[in-house]
Amino acid sequence: MEGLFFNVDTGFLEGIVRGYKSGTLTQSHYASLAQCETLEDFKTQLSATDYGNFLANEPSPLSTATIADKATQTLVDQFNFIRSNSVEPLSKFLDYITYGYMIDNVVLLITGTLHERDTHELLERCHPLGIFDTMPALCVATNVEELYQSVLVETPLAPYFRDCLSAADLDDMNIEIIRNTVYKAYLEDFYNYVSTIGSTTADVMHNILAFEADRRTINITINSFDTELTKEQRAKLFPAIGRLFPTGNNALAKADDIDQVRQVCENVSEYRSFFDNSASAQTNGDLGDFGVAAQLEDRFFRMEVHLNKLAFLQQFQYGVFYSYVKLKEQEIRNITWIAECIAQDARDRIHDFIPIF
Amino acid sequence: MGDDYPTLFRSEQMSLMQFLIPTEVAHDTVAELGELGNVQFKDLNPAVNPFQRSFVGEIRRTEEMARRVRFFESQIQKEKDVVPIRPLYDSASLVTVGPSAAHNIDELDVTLAAHETRLVQMNDSYKTLSERTRELVEARHVLRETAVFFEKAETQQTDIRTSFDDSSAPLLQHDDREQQYLSTVQFDLEFVAGTIDRTRISTFERVLWRVLRGNLYMNHTDITEPFIDPATGAETRKNVFIIFAHGDALLAKIRKVAESMGATLYPIDANADKRSDSLREVTARLEDLETVLYNTGVNRRSELVRIGEHLARWQDVVRKEKAIYETMNLFNYDVRRKTLVAEGWVPTRDLTMIHMALRHATEESGTSVVPILQELRTSKTPPTFTRTNKFTEGFQTIMDAYGIATYQEVNPGLFAIVTFPFLFAVMFGDIGHGLIILFAALYMIFQEKKWARQELDEIVGQFFYGRYIILLMGMFSVYTGLMYNDIFSKSLHIWHSGWDFLEAGSNGVSYALSNGHIYPFGVDPAWHGADNGLVFTNSYKMKMSVVLGVIHMTFALCLQLPNHIKFKRPLDIYANFIPQMIFLQSIFGYLVVCILYKWSIDWSTRDTEPPSLLNMLIAMILSPGKVDATAQLYRGQGFIQVVLLLLAVVCVPWMLCMKPYFQWKEMQKIQGQGYVGLGHRNGGPRESTDEVLEIEEEGNGRVIVEEMEEEHEQHDFSEVVIHQIIHTIEFCLGCISHTASYLRLWALSLAHAQLSEVLWSMTIEKFLGLSGIFGTIALVMVVVFWFSATVFILCIMEGLSAFLHALRLHWVEANSKHYQGEGYSFAPLSFAKLDEKE
Repeated sequence: MEGLFFNVDTGFLEGIVRGYKSGTLTQSHYASLAQCETLEDFKTQLSATDYGNFLANEPSPLSTATIADKATQTLVDQFNFIRSNSVEPLSKFLDYITYGYMIDNVVLLITGTLHERDTHELLERCHPLGIFDTMPALCVATNVEELYQSVLVETPLAPYFRDCLSAADLDDMNIEIIRNTVYKAYLEDFYNYVSTIGSTTADVMHNILAFEADRRTINITINSFDTELTKEQRAKLFPAIGRLFPTGNNALAKADDIDQVRQVCENVSEYRSFFDNSASAQTNGDLGDFGVAAQLEDRFFRMEVHLNKLAFLQQFQYGVFYSYVKLKEQEIRNITWIAECIAQDARDRIHDFIPIF
Repeated sequence: MGDDYPTLFRSEQMSLMQFLIPTEVAHDTVAELGELGNVQFKDLNPAVNPFQRSFVGEIRRTEEMARRVRFFESQIQKEKDVVPIRPLYDSASLVTVGPSAAHNIDELDVTLAAHETRLVQMNDSYKTLSERTRELVEARHVLRETAVFFEKAETQQTDIRTSFDDSSAPLLQHDDREQQYLSTVQFDLEFVAGTIDRTRISTFERVLWRVLRGNLYMNHTDITEPFIDPATGAETRKNVFIIFAHGDALLAKIRKVAESMGATLYPIDANADKRSDSLREVTARLEDLETVLYNTGVNRRSELVRIGEHLARWQDVVRKEKAIYETMNLFNYDVRRKTLVAEGWVPTRDLTMIHMALRHATEESGTSVVPILQELRTSKTPPTFTRTNKFTEGFQTIMDAYGIATYQEVNPGLFAIVTFPFLFAVMFGDIGHGLIILFAALYMIFQEKKWARQELDEIVGQFFYGRYIILLMGMFSVYTGLMYNDIFSKSLHIWHSGWDFLEAGSNGVSYALSNGHIYPFGVDPAWHGADNGLVFTNSYKMKMSVVLGVIHMTFALCLQLPNHIKFKRPLDIYANFIPQMIFLQSIFGYLVVCILYKWSIDWSTRDTEPPSLLNMLIAMILSPGKVDATAQLYRGQGFIQVVLLLLAVVCVPWMLCMKPYFQWKEMQKIQGQGYVGLGHRNGGPRESTDEVLEIEEEGNGRVIVEEMEEEHEQHDFSEVVIHQIIHTIEFCLGCISHTASYLRLWALSLAHAQLSEVLWSMTIEKFLGLSGIFGTIALVMVVVFWFSATVFILCIMEGLSAFLHALRLHWVEANSKHYQGEGYSFAPLSFAKLDEKE
């Protein structure tokens, strides 16, 4: 039944998003981008794609940062176009997408202030999708309580922060804990929200969000080895959703090294491949934990891209909007990576991006 | 078709030419050909990446130049007072061909760069200056507003104090009170003052309130004039705020929040004297700055004016250069890299012009090496190029919108010039409305020169583009209006009516009697207002539309014939054209004959009732051979109808089987000679030996890049059969539905007539009888209303709808009978078109 009336409110926007999606760079685009000698070539090559002349008015020499900025700007423009044309419940859904970026921005600002960086510089580095009105005022807060009371209380993030209110002073460790608690709350809330807006959306989004939650769980576990974080505290940070929940989460909460993490992941067939090569790499010895984590991150990204691509197979659901933003973000990361490789003349690593289509 | 005169009947004959251009004249040659706009170059290195081609460097340079020119343009546009841009035809020309070309372009590059740096510098200094001015202006505002605020506060404070004094006077000592009074004059509250964007003020207030837990007193006022950003020209409006709070920590917090929210803070002294001092100082500095700023502005403006002198020329040159190099990127180098090899489609008729252009280009460039031009043989289908002028352009566009004609196919655009306005007019028949659109078209045509040069908005532009279509539509509508005898739903009495109305009888009904006259042209006006007038026009228009439809379809079907003859497909004539024609004529041609025959008989003298032709047609198919005696049209009707029906029935298997059968036989024959299968596999090597031979014979006489998708038509037999089945079914069903589709002529023309009559009788007719001054005023107002309704509803809305239906009748009903429309249009390199695109 939801399919019957879906197009009344959302058909246009879904069409737009699918149109945008067909503009994402393909394998052949990447191949020709990777052949570029200079960033000027890169610009010429990109102008033949959907990015069009987004760099036409930039004076040379180009910098990688400009390319990334401009590319992000195109994504933001597209998102804002969709957001301003949407109605409930899609608009709410789209807002949920921005919450993730808002959390990142909040954490970025707090960390920056803690290290006494210039506020304006910090504001420029914030992701444009997650900017909100009162954000600049974050830099005056010195503890979470104050942060909450002065700024966050009127943002949509307020309920997520409520769980981690403590008068404790902000330090790096605490911020990391806050970030993860808040993100956990956000993911759970988002998960619940998508359950209320139709079963198709829920099906698609639950897959993606479950993976997102699992990824965070695994990351938290690996990153908390050899830190002061107690195991109880660690367990509190795990989102209560995902395919590892609850058994896997419990096991992970007790894990002490990467092998135990791998054993947990073995239980989920899709995750089994995450540690395949990394185990052999570890036996080679030289990479160590850091190498494993880096490789793991790469695989996570691949998995994320794969899941997001799947979202486009279903019609009449909102997952495409989420997936489009995520895929485009990945694409921008890819472009930046290739541009960076060209700029620094590191051609051997130029193919280490994650192709989308 | 003679090849000596351009015609719309078929598209131009094209030749694939190969150009061997010495590298040193390549640029000038391409420039010359671009001016000519007659060559469509083929991409000879499709496998090469855009940035790996030969002239990428040049393109990048022109792109950089284009960026600079765009920068100038945007700067000029942003300027508040209009900077004149000298139009292209008026500005000094810049030689970009010939020996000095490279030098000129280099010079242009340098000039552009110099202008850019100068402009950027000026912009920067202008920006810093105006930034400082802005700050000073803001400071002045803050000073003024705070002064106002302090004054107000002081008076209030005194009031409060006095009241306090009264109640507590007995308890306090006099000198204490004195001291207290003094201290109120000296403000001991600390405060922060500054300016902030007006849109942010509420957020700012809220955040502060929350951060300080309400321990503040904030006041703000609007600054009335907007601040203009010198770089973007955007306006921002700001507010002055002053915040009182207690304690250094709080003040520091306020400052931090304010700064992070983009506010500017100004140090203001609590002391009134110091404030007025600083106000004086600020004003003085502001005056100095403003003179400097004014001078910078004047300088900048004169720079822009200088740029504006040449801007149009620069744009033109840069655009052309870019097009030239992009075209040259399509070329191929020969082995020694001395010459460029290009291939392109050229209208065969224009070959001499191209030769002349090539020679001219060599002369210009001052060398003696003439580019060589030679024709290539190819199996590729050439592009379709139809020469149009401003009159035929619109009609051709209508047909091209359906599909570009296959190369050298009969072009329906030619016939649309007459049939399109005619079918439109059948639906739009009214002298008055026709005249209105005729005059509108004439007006546009007289304004042509003026309007063609200026930017029109989308809607007006579309009407303007179709002005000649509208002209013909108007003229034809006047004609059909005369036929229907309708002018704004009234009728004209030009000649004697053929009917006299008798005196009204006792029942109030008057009858008309024929008086022997025959109205010479169009419908007799006596029908207008007659009780059976609608019945008459209904029947008349319905039959007329069927007649017109069958004629139009027959004509469209006939257009197959020149195609089949031209492309030497005799089989298609026997297997498609002839049976289709017989099928159409034996059913619907017969219907038309019956309609005409029925019209020609005076039924009042016959003893039978006039038969219904629709029933006749149905009975002809459902019960062949039997004709009801009361509904007989002529003697021997039954027999003739059976014959016709049999003819039509025979045509179906004829269409269905003949073509596949003959093609099958053809294949058998070839197979019998042992060619098939081998023919395919042998095709490649044999062609290559040919190629080798030819290269030996005439050098580079072959197409360099033989396209990968060589169109070897797969003679798959099942495909032929399926295609023919679909074709047959489509045609037979199409005949019926298309004939019915032409009834829209009847429906729309009737609707149009009725609508205009309703409009007349609901408005003007009711006010015609009124007398006196109010009657006149009312009449004038109603006439105005009626006229605007006529123009908007009847002419524009109804006109668009009739246009749409005429369009459909051409696209679907007529084009399906003969038009393949599988071509691609000729897109030559043309500087003139380049300008249009911008």
